[in-house]
Amino acid sequence: MKKYLQLANLTFQDYFVYRLNFYLWRFRSFITFLTLLFFWLAIYGNQESFLGYQKSQMITYVVGVAFLRTIIFGTRSTDLAPQIRSGSLIKLLLKPIKVFKYFFTQDIVDKLLNFLFAGFEIGLVLFILNFSLYFPQNITTYFFFFVLVSLAIVLLFFISMTLSIISFWTEEIWAARFLFMVIFMEFLAGTYFPLDILPSWLTKIIYLTPSPYLIFFPMKIWLEQLSAEEILKAILICFIWLLFFWWLSFFLWKKGSRSYSAYGD
Amino acid sequence: MNSIEVSHLKKNFFVFQKEPGVLGSFKSVFSRRYKEIKAVRDASFTIKEGELIGFIGPNGAGKTTTLKCLSGLLYPDTGQVSVLGFRPFERKPEFQKQFALVMGQKNQLWWDLPPMETFLLNKEIYGVPQQQFKKTLDELVEILEVKDILKNQVRKLSLGQRMKCELIAALLHSPKVLFLDEPTIGMDVIMQKKIRDFIKEYNLRYKATIILTSHYMGDVKELCQRIIIIDKGRLVFDGQLNKIIKRYAEHKILSVILSKKIDQEKLSIFGQLTDYNFPEVKFIIDKKKIAEASGRILSTLPVVDINIEEPPIEEIIRDLFTNKNYQ
Repeated sequence: MKKYLQLANLTFQDYFVYRLNFYLWRFRSFITFLTLLFFWLAIYGNQESFLGYQKSQMITYVVGVAFLRTIIFGTRSTDLAPQIRSGSLIKLLLKPIKVFKYFFTQDIVDKLLNFLFAGFEIGLVLFILNFSLYFPQNITTYFFFFVLVSLAIVLLFFISMTLSIISFWTEEIWAARFLFMVIFMEFLAGTYFPLDILPSWLTKIIYLTPSPYLIFFPMKIWLEQLSAEEILKAILICFIWLLFFWWLSFFLWKKGSRSYSAYGD
Repeated sequence: MNSIEVSHLKKNFFVFQKEPGVLGSFKSVFSRRYKEIKAVRDASFTIKEGELIGFIGPNGAGKTTTLKCLSGLLYPDTGQVSVLGFRPFERKPEFQKQFALVMGQKNQLWWDLPPMETFLLNKEIYGVPQQQFKKTLDELVEILEVKDILKNQVRKLSLGQRMKCELIAALLHSPKVLFLDEPTIGMDVIMQKKIRDFIKEYNLRYKATIILTSHYMGDVKELCQRIIIIDKGRLVFDGQLNKIIKRYAEHKILSVILSKKIDQEKLSIFGQLTDYNFPEVKFIIDKKKIAEASGRILSTLPVVDINIEEPPIEEIIRDLFTNKNYQ
């Protein structure tokens, strides 16, 4: 355990070396948040309700997305792919340290830092624009929200690891990752709009994929728009996807690291 | 006791072949040709505990591939590999805690942080107790003279300074088996000497088993009694360093000090003249004819002093790699 704490310590220090990178990344997330916020404000105009969402619910949704994006989609497991390609992965393979835990530790540090910064940025906007947000009345809502968000973090980690591990076989993974993560995952996760404004036949299909459980369902729980049964179903499906990607990533890792020729010299 | 046992090790690679240029890249999207490279073919050797072995061969001979199989990075196609009784590829923590691989061209230090941070991380990764860590670190820092740079960012260090820190990072857990791939790369002569002394000392003090590869024959000559030569994936020699000279040196060098100047042309009838710088003259003479040639020289030339030497090991090995005349 201590080794992972020390690793977290170094990862943390590393962020302060690349301050500019970090600030630029935060700036990008912030702009995305503002764009989405003002887009929805413009659509609502003077109306209080649209597509079944109250204005305050929609603002809460957009703010929630900004937060969840930061802590769920922010991941360092993307670094694994270039390490496989360059051969620098060998420094991990030679040591008594688990590669999955190594990257997950870095993920946690990344998420913590991003969470602090996002909290500050979003708080500032809310303070200036003086919005009222929706907060759950029921204490169990917080609990289920926490459970699903935790599952989502782990699920995304294993999906992202799976994509990185494909680098063992392909020369270039960046394009595939972009297509899959940004277009498919983020879009279908409901980062731009609540998925239930789509036709119901379409949402039924989307709900079978892992994406909506990353952002959309946690936000629905927060807004208390799901029945107890629906909540449990969401948690269950998320958990099944998690098991699947957990298995897939480890399976591919075992195969890949075995055929790995550790190029680069 | 054997630390390392390798029997009938084989490892092949498939390497993707691309024709040059943009057109080649475009073609490679649709059809790819792969070439099979036999990196190691049927290598067998054993190394005893505490031995320091030189592992040499020309570029692309299979040195690094063999080291990677021994350290568990590569899975052997066929054959058995055992290091300290472990099968390296299982990557058991108990094995990894007892061994280290240092590659001159690879770095394990965190690029943007001072080396000390990597040392602290390695301390935790290998579970080195605080006291032992402090003692080992102080020792290494003193021998390698890196006290002043421990707080500098790694990327601002020179290649030599970085290499020293790499060594420290690899040795903090006092490994019993050590693979050194070009450890003196990029170092000046003084530092090369220091690293050599250090490796020797480490070998003796910890009874560590060490395999060393280097392009500097000086490293090998000074450190290793036994060497293994590999070429095109095959072990071509395994034995004492001085046996190489006996087995492969086809010539001897005969140097003579003359008392008066003799025409170069007249000298060349005694053998192949390599150097004439009055009063000294040097011949290269076939091993078998050395007795006869020296007799003739002594009786015909005004000789003050005569000396017969083996050719330098660098030369023998260079000839060996060039002519590939392994018996």
